[in-house]
Amino acid sequence: MKRYEIFLKKDGRDEYRHAGSLNAPDDELALILARETYLRRAEGDRLWLVDRAHLVIGDTDFVAPNANKPHRHNDGDRIAERRRRLREEQRLNEEGAS
Amino acid sequence: MTTPWNADIQEFVLAFADDEHLMGQQHTEWIGVAPFLEEDLAFSSIGQDELGHAAALYAIVAGDGDPDRDGGVDDRRLDALAFDPDPHRWRSSQFVEATTDDWAHALVRHWLYDAAEQLRWELVADSSLKPLAGVATLAEREEWFHRRHADGLLDVLLPAPDAGDRLRTALVDLLPLAVGLFDPVAGEVEAVASGVTSAPFDSRMPEWADRVRARFDGDLSSIALSPSDRPTPNGRTTRSNAFGRLLSRMREVLDLDSSAIW
Repeated sequence: MKRYEIFLKKDGRDEYRHAGSLNAPDDELALILARETYLRRAEGDRLWLVDRAHLVIGDTDFVAPNANKPHRHNDGDRIAERRRRLREEQRLNEEGAS
Repeated sequence: MTTPWNADIQEFVLAFADDEHLMGQQHTEWIGVAPFLEEDLAFSSIGQDELGHAAALYAIVAGDGDPDRDGGVDDRRLDALAFDPDPHRWRSSQFVEATTDDWAHALVRHWLYDAAEQLRWELVADSSLKPLAGVATLAEREEWFHRRHADGLLDVLLPAPDAGDRLRTALVDLLPLAVGLFDPVAGEVEAVASGVTSAPFDSRMPEWADRVRARFDGDLSSIALSPSDRPTPNGRTTRSNAFGRLLSRMREVLDLDSSAIW
């Protein structure tokens, strides 16, 4: 048996979305069973099946390093901190001058 | 609209409806016990399609040839036909009454039945009974998928050593009953004469037999596959031993409380 991933889409709406998976011995039976398992109630009118063996998969070890790069996060904290510091220096300079 | 309708034509339509109903019932009984989940869903969904065809055919009978008469047929009149406790009312084939508690038999019966059903719908596709021609068109929209489902499974399973043997055993068991599908009711003569059907069902039997031989590719010479070889048909007027048990399964809820409404 092979494992197939099922994607559905409604005509003219949305993108293909993952609906689930199923086991089948070949492409023909996978199509037949996908239709009855995921499309009995008109959940979509387009169907893609992908044999899992044909997926190009990036596993978690491959993906993980990108989860720890704070310098890439443009969340504004570092800039806000720098501007706060500059405003404080400016205020001290003005007090010292007066 | 002049619709041909009389007791003979009614009997002809009932025989088709009864076969569809019992076949659908038998298929749906595999929900939860077919070999794997997706097949549970597919097989019982196909069974529901057959029940839908049966309901459409019973509606023609209940409306005396016009299912839209008086704004549509009352569901209770369909139920009265579909769950009739009187065995003498029924015109089903013994093939669809038989009990199959083995998946190989259920699958082979599914293939044999749908191969015959295709020919049966073709015969009424241009019926002078217009509602019947309409149901034929609707049914074929579903039937191509039923045949593809049965063929898809047989393509994989027949070449497999153990599965193939079990399927061929099932075929030998079922063929003598399957040829009975082509047995006419007495009313078929009138149905042909009035153009309700274009020819007797068993005139298509040789074509069905060719498909059976091509599909199963086995030596079927010991099994009668032509109309002249069959035992004398009885006009579908006697019920098999399996019928009573099947009917009581179908009537289980009704028999608990005949006045219940749901």
